[in-house]
Amino acid sequence: MRKVFLAVLLFAAVALFASLEERIVEVGKTLERNGINEVRYAVWGTGDPNSVLRVLGIVEAARRINDIWSKNKVNVKITIRETRYELDFTQMYQEFLSKQPLGTAGDFLVNSYVYIASLAEEGYLLDLTPYLSRHKDFLEGFFPTLVEVAKYKGKIYGLPQDTEARPFYIRKDIAAKVGLNLEGLDQKVLKGEFTWLDVYSWSKKTVEMKASEWGLIHRRGTAHPDLMQFILAFGGRLDDPVEGKLVFDKEAIYKWLTIEWVFAREKLLPSDMMAWDWAKQVHPAIVDGKTLFDIGGTWYWTEWQTKDYYTDPKTGQMRGLKPEEVEQWFYYTLFPAGEPGKKPVTLSQPFMWMVSSKAGAQNPKYSALKSTYDELAFLIVAKASDPDINAMHSIMSAKLPITKASAALLANKSWLDKLYNLEVDLDAGVKEKIANIVKATVNPINATFLSNVSYMLEYTNFQPAHPMYPKLTAIFAEVVDQVLRGQMDPAKAVDYAISKINADLDLKAAVKIIKDIPKDWRFPAR
Amino acid sequence: MNLSDVEVRSKTKQVIYSIVLIAFSIPVLMAFSVLVLSSFASQMVTNFDFSKVRFTLRNWQLLFQGRIAITGGLRENIFLYMFSTAIVALGVALVTTLVGTLSGYAISRIKFKGRKFLLLMMLMLHALPGSILIVGVYFLYRIWMPTNLNALRYFSFFYVVFARAALEVPLSVWLMKGFFDLLPWEIEWSALIDGASRLKTWAKIMLPLIKPGVVAILIFGFLAGWQDIIYVRTFLIDKTLATFIESNLEAEMAYMPLLAAAATLYLLPTVFFYISSQKLLFKVYAGGIRR
Repeated sequence: MRKVFLAVLLFAAVALFASLEERIVEVGKTLERNGINEVRYAVWGTGDPNSVLRVLGIVEAARRINDIWSKNKVNVKITIRETRYELDFTQMYQEFLSKQPLGTAGDFLVNSYVYIASLAEEGYLLDLTPYLSRHKDFLEGFFPTLVEVAKYKGKIYGLPQDTEARPFYIRKDIAAKVGLNLEGLDQKVLKGEFTWLDVYSWSKKTVEMKASEWGLIHRRGTAHPDLMQFILAFGGRLDDPVEGKLVFDKEAIYKWLTIEWVFAREKLLPSDMMAWDWAKQVHPAIVDGKTLFDIGGTWYWTEWQTKDYYTDPKTGQMRGLKPEEVEQWFYYTLFPAGEPGKKPVTLSQPFMWMVSSKAGAQNPKYSALKSTYDELAFLIVAKASDPDINAMHSIMSAKLPITKASAALLANKSWLDKLYNLEVDLDAGVKEKIANIVKATVNPINATFLSNVSYMLEYTNFQPAHPMYPKLTAIFAEVVDQVLRGQMDPAKAVDYAISKINADLDLKAAVKIIKDIPKDWRFPAR
Repeated sequence: MNLSDVEVRSKTKQVIYSIVLIAFSIPVLMAFSVLVLSSFASQMVTNFDFSKVRFTLRNWQLLFQGRIAITGGLRENIFLYMFSTAIVALGVALVTTLVGTLSGYAISRIKFKGRKFLLLMMLMLHALPGSILIVGVYFLYRIWMPTNLNALRYFSFFYVVFARAALEVPLSVWLMKGFFDLLPWEIEWSALIDGASRLKTWAKIMLPLIKPGVVAILIFGFLAGWQDIIYVRTFLIDKTLATFIESNLEAEMAYMPLLAAAATLYLLPTVFFYISSQKLLFKVYAGGIRR
């Protein structure tokens, strides 16, 4: 039965890409006719260390296209001349911004969808709409919401590469100690029956019982995107797409800051949380069981396995968790509703394959063959979206797949076994580069986790792809820090944030302030 | 001559000065110590609680393997980054020294129209930070850049060296002019009377006498090129150590001890030059005071 299922899947994939393959051959022949035998591109990627397929996917796609050409006796070869991978995606975006006009940026950029608006506005990205309208069946393979965020002014400027959810993690062993029954809790969260009022009361009980040092740990440094979930969980909005403005929802923001204030004052959450070190404090506190709740992302699941955050009580040495330990210790749900009557949420930040509007500019006869080089660049990113490449990336990085076909592969144990043994169709160089990540991350526990959290995408939200959004989140980060440290109460922090917005004329013009601080609202409700 | 006229201090004063200087140096020394210690530790050393810190050579091993993370990440060619950094630093040092010594000599010896204005303009140029000139420099780069990528790669080195050196030249010219001013004309005249050419006089007679100044601007030029980040990041196609550290530093998931190792490696030439040339640099400052 499994074999039949795989065969059907394979057939579907072949059918899906048949027309793409025809175009690949056509483009190859056009290049050959014009005397081009080698086409060179560069790819720039960014993100966590396990997400290397964000660039190696392009290398693999180039190899697959070379194979198609070779099979069809087309004497052209794609060479990926440069692969750059950096951890900090803002830095890479800025470098792309400054080097694209010079023609020295990568031909492909893999980065957060939030940059599409500004890059497309500058004319730095290739509009993929004409190609995608030619390959509608291919486009339909993607989850539609992810394609929506790749759009800017009605045109598609990126192909989804991955996405994620931000589960609300709960330590199972601590929950057991304090009597929090996790049986069916995810359903209660889903129905809005377990809210932040419950998170508060269980946190308080945990700390009082000394079952753990903290009730809650959240992300450090920036307030976005994790903490923005509070605004959504209190029924707030981040933007108004009709007016094209960002939204500052005073009521929801006040409620969010009140939670931070109350948790920090009652020592359920560290008051210096925003200054905690990611590797030295945040994650060790979570994996060492020093908190009951934790706001995180799906990628935490494998990060805990691949980084030495856990201090083994037997040896006193720091090590990564075993998949069994992660499974045994961590429960996950959606981000609970802010209060009764509200809905649970999660937030995704899809990454995109983006193509530079100058893709292939370093190749011969560029001006004459620009349209061909552009189309080939599109075909490369389309090939890099092959279900198996995407599924490999998903399990290696604990990100969610972007097509149904790749999700199906993740659920297939025999495919996972083959991947674990690297018995898959991959470029030898790529295999070598991903070998240690594969060994550390490919296992049924991680695949099950990804499959279990996939439903969260139905409840997901996206950050506004507005050029002023980073400025607004920087203000949020500042006020959260002040509130946590007790330097401003929530009402004063809301006013302070508004004064900061008004002080910046561009930001003021971009932000719509709505609602008011509720006068009769208390947290916790008395 | 009264002994108190010369710089001889009582022992008590010397001790007090030393204590004050050490007190001022402690924060700087601690920052460097923490960085170096972190490069040999399993986690960042942010205080002096070493109970959880495990010392290891792994960060250095990972760095030279070009890995930015314990698991995953693409291999980076750290040696290539060091090489690129060295090319820029040496290039800036050579251009600065050559232009500085030749121009300093000319301005010191030749009285020409606009000499004072030129000196004032150079001083003004030195007062302007490199970051505000970058728009113009970027514009010129766009005009001159070749279209071929291979040629552009070499051109970017050439351009960064000259653009960065241009910022260092005013100071070096002023410094060298000061040195040449100190040398009496008579030395040069006797060389010229003995039949030496202008260039030969400059190279064989004058240059050895101003060696401390030449070495100083060579070092300043090298360090300026080694430490530059704005020009390198804007124009250079290849990465340097500075851009490598910068591009990975701000990410939350960065493995900081490894970046501490990279930063320590990046720091080494600066420390080495300052220690080895300390005496020479003192001569430069002493020369300035005397003049």
